[in-house]
Amino acid sequence: MTSIMQSETQPQLTDASTALGVAIINSKAPFSSNAGKDALDVALLFGSFEQKVSLFFQGDGVYQLIANQDGSLLAIKDYLKTFSAFEFYDIEDVYVCQQSLIERQLSKTFHIDNVQVLTNKAFAVALSKHKHVLRF
Amino acid sequence: MNTLAVVVTTPPYSHLTITALTYVEAALVAGIDVVGVFFYQDGAMHANKDISIASDEYQSIAHWQQLHQQYKLPLHVCITAAEKRGVVMGSIDNEIVNEAFTVSGLGELVELATKASRLVQF
Repeated sequence: MTSIMQSETQPQLTDASTALGVAIINSKAPFSSNAGKDALDVALLFGSFEQKVSLFFQGDGVYQLIANQDGSLLAIKDYLKTFSAFEFYDIEDVYVCQQSLIERQLSKTFHIDNVQVLTNKAFAVALSKHKHVLRF
Repeated sequence: MNTLAVVVTTPPYSHLTITALTYVEAALVAGIDVVGVFFYQDGAMHANKDISIASDEYQSIAHWQQLHQQYKLPLHVCITAAEKRGVVMGSIDNEIVNEAFTVSGLGELVELATKASRLVQF
């Protein structure tokens, strides 16, 4: 978190050729499509192959992180509970777009721990530290 | 050496697929090493050999096949995404998977991402 705060005052985009790992952007709400689950499957696979993977939540994707929701009430497999297994797959970096939370009047109560809420600029800087980006 | 991997998530009838094909073909023509194309989500429908698109519309599956033959371009389809969409491996008589495609797991996507200096998603 410290490094993120520092780079926020002095934004430094990373050259893609020196960046590492994969960033996965979640941009869709959790229950209207399978996108969140598809993204999760990719993230866990990269994690199990010991590749560095970071998760980014932006736009309606931030709804995936809100506490006390259960897809099984809608007969949808509750993939969100797997989020609490991230550390088991060495997925340590979970970033949330602050602007997206504000636009949706969402509080910062997430159903998983160790989530970092970033400003637009810090979000972009964090993204640029990755070699590859996938968006779902 | 620039190496490229491509992820296709759009179905064969999507106009976005045409963009993906044009992009991949341009890369191949430019001599860029395209290590493979990974078909995920609705992109997995490309591997269904029974799909028939009206002859006056863009033939995306035929184009992927042509790139596969001409450039030995590896085409990987995610098995979970494919089976969910009815694209399953059968016996010789009822084979649904287009032979230009290799049925792979998500591990193949990890492999491609590791090999490639650039990963582009459509």
